Amino acid sequence: MGEAGKGTTAVRMSPVAWLIAPAGLFFLVFFVLPFGVMALLSVLTGNPMQRPNVSFTTRHYERMADDSLYFESLASTLKIGAITTLATLILGYPIAHWLARIRSRAGHALLLMAVIAPMLTGIVVRTFAWMTILADKGVINSTLQGLGLTSAPLPLMYNEFGTTVALVHIYVPFMVLTLAGVIGGIDERLEEAVMSLGASPLRAFLEVTLPLSLPGIMAGSLLVFALAISAYVTPYLMGGQQVLTLPMLIYQQVAATFNTAFAGALGVLLLVVSIVLVIAYNRVLGRLTRREDLA
Amino acid sequence: MTSTFTRRTVLQSAAIGAAAIGAPWVAKAQAATLKITTWGGKWGDIMKSEVLPAFEKEMKCKVEADQAFPYIPKLAASPPKDPLYDVLHSNSNEQWSALEQGLVMDKITAKEVPNIKDVYPYAVSEKIVGVTIFTSAVGLGFRTDRNLTPIKSWKDFADPKLSGQRGGYQIPVNSLGQAHLMLLGQLYGKGMTDLDPAYKALEQLKPMKLVDFTGQMEKLLLQGEVAVGIIHDSGVYRYDGQNQPIDFVAPSEGVLSLEQVLNVTPGSKVKELAFAYIDYMLRPDVQKKLAEAVWYSPANKNVKLDPKYDAKLYNTPEKVAQLIQVDWKWFNAHKDEVDARVARIMRG
Repeated sequence: MGEAGKGTTAVRMSPVAWLIAPAGLFFLVFFVLPFGVMALLSVLTGNPMQRPNVSFTTRHYERMADDSLYFESLASTLKIGAITTLATLILGYPIAHWLARIRSRAGHALLLMAVIAPMLTGIVVRTFAWMTILADKGVINSTLQGLGLTSAPLPLMYNEFGTTVALVHIYVPFMVLTLAGVIGGIDERLEEAVMSLGASPLRAFLEVTLPLSLPGIMAGSLLVFALAISAYVTPYLMGGQQVLTLPMLIYQQVAATFNTAFAGALGVLLLVVSIVLVIAYNRVLGRLTRREDLA
Repeated sequence: MTSTFTRRTVLQSAAIGAAAIGAPWVAKAQAATLKITTWGGKWGDIMKSEVLPAFEKEMKCKVEADQAFPYIPKLAASPPKDPLYDVLHSNSNEQWSALEQGLVMDKITAKEVPNIKDVYPYAVSEKIVGVTIFTSAVGLGFRTDRNLTPIKSWKDFADPKLSGQRGGYQIPVNSLGQAHLMLLGQLYGKGMTDLDPAYKALEQLKPMKLVDFTGQMEKLLLQGEVAVGIIHDSGVYRYDGQNQPIDFVAPSEGVLSLEQVLNVTPGSKVKELAFAYIDYMLRPDVQKKLAEAVWYSPANKNVKLDPKYDAKLYNTPEKVAQLIQVDWKWFNAHKDEVDARVARIMRG
C-alpha cells in the first residue's frame, strides 16, 4: 500500500532543490528584495519611512522621458559595455585557447596565475594604476614627450578611451576564465579529424572550435557586459565628467542629491534595458549554436 | 577533606558565576552610546586616538563613529525614532539636505550647547543648519615650479595660458565645485544665484580636469597633473614642511567657506549627550588640537593657535570677514537642473 493509501500527503523535496535553496534564498534576499524596494520607491512621492503621506506617482519616469540627457547616458553606458565586451573577447579568446590547450602543467599554472593575479588587486587600485599610466604626466605621455615624439600630452584619460581601456583590463580575466572552461571541454580530436581531411588549422578553428565555443563566448560576453554597464568607480575616476553613465547618475542621485526615488527609476531603466538586450543576445547566439533552448 | 554540595551552595555559586560572566555586558548596557559620523584620514586618526577616548572618559559613555560615506542615505534608511546617528557631522550643503528630509534639527542654540556663545557669527549664521565647528577656506592651490603669472583673483583661473592645466570638481557630487559655480555667478553675473553667466564662465574654463573629492585634487597638484586647482587651504597646508612645490592663494574677492557642521538628529535617544559632544568639540583645547592637526580654522573665537597656524588660519574677525558662505538651501532646491546643465557643458 502506498503513502497516499495511508492517508498522508507528505511532499518530498528533491535533494537538488535543497541544494539550490540557499542560493535561491540568497538571490531573494540580496537581489529580489532590494530591487523590489528600489522599484517601489521609484513610483512613490517620498520615502514612507520618513514621510507618512506618500502616494503613487509616475513623475520620476516622466522626468527621464522629458530630458534626453538620461537616454544619452543610457546610450553611453551601453556603448561602453559593448566596446568593453568586444575588446575583452578579442583579447581574451587567444589567451583562453592557449590556457585550455597548453600541454605543460607548469605552463598552465603560470598562465592561470597571470590571468588571475590582477583579480587579486581591488578595482580601485587597478584603476589608480591606469591613471598613473594614462595621465598627462603619466608613464606613456612622459615617455613620448621625453623622446620628443609629442609636444603636448595625448588625451588618454578623462574621456571614453581611458575608461574603456581600464574596464577592458579589469574584465579580461572574467572572459578568459569563462572561455577557457568551455574550450577545454571541446574534444581536440574533432579539430584533428577535420585537419586530417585537408582543412587548414584556421579553417579547423573557424568551422569546429569557434562554433563549439559559442556557449563560452555567450556566457563570457554576458558576464563582462553586465559588469561593464554597472561599473561605477572606473568611469568616475577615468572619465572625469566627459563620460556619464547610468551607474554614475544613480550614485549622484543616491549619495549627493539624496533622491532615492529617481535613482530607483534610473536603476529600473538600466535593468529593463539590460534584460531586453540579454534576451536578444541569447536568442541570436542560441540560433547560431542551433540550440534554441538557450534562448 | 570533604566537601558537600547542598542545593543552596549550588544556587549561590550559580548566581555568583552568572553575575561574573554577565558583569561586562551589564556595565556596557548601562553606559550610554553616542553614534556619530566623522571623517577619516588624519582627522579620523586623532579623533579615534585622542579626542573621542577623552570624551568617553569624561562623559562615561561609548562613542561609535562611522567613517563610511554616504551618511545621509544611511541615516534616511533608519527609523526616525531610532536614528542610525545621534550626531551628524557633514559639510553645510548636506546638513541642508538632511533638514529638508527631517533628519536633523533646524536650530541649536547656546541653551543646549553653551560654547555656541563663543563662536564667530558665520558658525551659526542663517546659511548654517546646526553648528559650524571648523571651516576651511576654499581658494586656489598652485604649483610653485611652473613660473605661473601670480594669481590674485578668481578670474585669473580663467587665464587661457592655464588651458588643460586647471583642476576642478565634478559638480553633481562635490560641494566645492557647486560653491565655485555659484561664485562664478557672483563674479560674472548679478550674484551667486545668477547661474547663466556662471555656466558661460564654466564653459570658458574647459578643458579642465575634474575630480570627485578634494583628496584627488591634492594628488593632481602634487603630481603636477594640474598647475592650478580649486582646493581648500587645509588640502595644501597639510603638506607644510614636506618640501612639496605647491602653495595656496586666497583670491582678492574672498574665499569660499567649507564648513564642518555638527547637528543632532531629532529622534536621538541621547540628545543631552549629543549636545554635550558638540559642546566638547567647540571647547578651545579640543579645537586647538584638531585645528593644528589638520589645518582647519576653529569656529571658537577664544582658541589661541601656535604662531605657524595663527598666521594662516581664519581666526580673527578681520579674516573671517573674507569667508563667502553659500546659500545651500537655494542651491539644493535647484540642484537637479544645475546637474543636468553642467553635465551637458562638461561633456560637450
